[in-house]
Amino acid sequence: MSEKRVEPSSAPVQQHMGLKASRAISNTAIYVLLVIISVIWLIPFVCIVLQSFRVESTWQVGYVIPQKWGLDNYRNLLQTDFTRWYLNTFIIALITAVLQTVIVLCMSYTLSRFRFKMRGPLMRFMLILGMFPGMLTMIILYRVLKDLGMTQENAVPGLILVYIASSGMGYYVSKGFFDTIPKSLDEAARVDGATRLQVLYKIILPLSKPIVIYTILTAFMGPWGDFVFARYISFGASAGKNVAVGLYDWLSKDQINKSYTMFCAGGVLVALPVTILFMCLQRYYVEGVTGGAVKG
Amino acid sequence: MASVKLTDVKKVYDNNVTAVHDFNLEIHDKEFVVFVGPSGCGKSTTLRMIAGLEDISGGTVEIDGVVVNDLQPKDRDIAMVFQNYALYPHMTVYDNIAFSLRLKHMPEDEIYERVTGAAEILGITQYLTRKPRALSGGQRQRVAIGRAMVRNSKVFLMDEPLSNLDAKLRNQMRAEIILLRKKLDTTFVYVTHDQTEAMTLGDRIVIMRDGYIEQVGTPTEVFEQPHNTFVAGFIGAPMMNMVPAQLKREGRQITVSLLGAEIPVTGDKLEELLAKDVHSGEILLGVRPEHMMLVHEAGPDTIAATLEVNEMMGSELHMHVIAPDETRLIVRVPTVNLTTEQRERLVYGATVHLTFEPKVMHFFDKEKGTNLIYG
Repeated sequence: MSEKRVEPSSAPVQQHMGLKASRAISNTAIYVLLVIISVIWLIPFVCIVLQSFRVESTWQVGYVIPQKWGLDNYRNLLQTDFTRWYLNTFIIALITAVLQTVIVLCMSYTLSRFRFKMRGPLMRFMLILGMFPGMLTMIILYRVLKDLGMTQENAVPGLILVYIASSGMGYYVSKGFFDTIPKSLDEAARVDGATRLQVLYKIILPLSKPIVIYTILTAFMGPWGDFVFARYISFGASAGKNVAVGLYDWLSKDQINKSYTMFCAGGVLVALPVTILFMCLQRYYVEGVTGGAVKG
Repeated sequence: MASVKLTDVKKVYDNNVTAVHDFNLEIHDKEFVVFVGPSGCGKSTTLRMIAGLEDISGGTVEIDGVVVNDLQPKDRDIAMVFQNYALYPHMTVYDNIAFSLRLKHMPEDEIYERVTGAAEILGITQYLTRKPRALSGGQRQRVAIGRAMVRNSKVFLMDEPLSNLDAKLRNQMRAEIILLRKKLDTTFVYVTHDQTEAMTLGDRIVIMRDGYIEQVGTPTEVFEQPHNTFVAGFIGAPMMNMVPAQLKREGRQITVSLLGAEIPVTGDKLEELLAKDVHSGEILLGVRPEHMMLVHEAGPDTIAATLEVNEMMGSELHMHVIAPDETRLIVRVPTVNLTTEQRERLVYGATVHLTFEPKVMHFFDKEKGTNLIYG
């Protein structure tokens, strides 16, 4: 009697074990692959970090691990214009992040909730306009900013203007997210006595945390790492450079030998705040990117 | 507390679809009015126009004598309960109910008093610290009602508040709304597609179809004196039987012949028909399933039909029968009136004999569908 009972019940257990084993194998394979990819990905970063602590020479060398370690490069960095560039970049990125987030979220909410006559054509127009590379506007933008006195050493306000000018066009992801929030919440709040603006910041935004953080992050990242616009609008004036432009100039033929390790130290300092931001907020970032499709 | 007056109210959408045609209605102070009709009849649109959530394409909406056409919802002093509850998911139940009061900058201790008071009436005091997602459907609906209650607004609007609930809970909440109405004693406008809700809740019912009002009346009026075949069919479940019939008038005598039966019209119905000066001709005769009687022997005033389906509802049978000319009828028979032997005889294919009294007959124009007496 007892034997009979064991037989049928052991079959599913075996099957279960087989399933477990095959899942373990495929998981291991996936993890091995991911580790290999991460290592390849990390090599350049590790090299740069190691170079930034090398003090025996300032030029490029054929080995990776420094012979003599120290913080000289970071100390020297503070004696140069780097602090100015860093501050420039930070101010630009911060102001852009705030203004661009406000503009993008208002734009997305408007396009998600309001129905006005030119809504469809406007959205199509922005979609098509967005397909042209931003570089096309380079010459005319430079001309306009020069006339306004916002180039070279005054490049900071000029750059802020450039970054936020067309930011409303980046509404897609957040509009997609807002579309998934039931309209009846807006209606309930409006009946409860809220204005449209109150609906946005008391109801919609608290429900859209991932998308708000995603918007802030992308708005901050754009100017933080920008090179092309920053380079031609600062146009050689050190006071108007951002870190990317300033550091790049250290790689020119006559500079590279005395500032290569300092360049690496600068690179590390540039990467640091963004890395920390991402590590803290990556959960929201992923939710934000995928949130437009499926509501979290 | 206020009256609501709709004058020639119209709603035309951008794609030129007219959802509501010239809607005229005066809702009195403290009255409970129910808009009922099939989906797409414009009942919700009309309610949303009163709330200010839809633009009004034509006509005027007045609340307490003030035209509110161009006022924002927040300035109309209305409260609304939505079909999907529309609770703010990121706020606790307390904050949800307090939301409108905080927008009005009411002192916190007064807010506390009102919120806990409403929660007590609705029996949700123990859930005040929870988020809406931790509540069941019925509890969520109570919170939504609570949110509308604390505002003490002039008009209380409800847009199919019970249709997301299961049948048992719906019955319970319906009874609670009746009690709530007594407590609040304010003007209610309630939208539903469920005629039972309309009949049980409303002081007056507005029956709508395709953007038009078909009839406005008390539950008794719309049930006993339907103006047309649509209202007759919509109110009452199962729906009223409609049978093509011949009306014969000879002087002051009127008889109706249908499905082989000759039924003389007597009493009030005869007087009313004579007063309307009806003539002989083709009509549609309406008889509600509960007004048909099962008789055990054929007679001059009985209809013979074949039993097709027999639905046992517990206290009554719903018999679906088919007459020789393919007309289908439904008959409600209380089981208490049947002996076991009689019940056993009511099987598929059995011939049954039906009759009804003249006072329960409804006479409709065959072409227009209007009631010959009340239409």
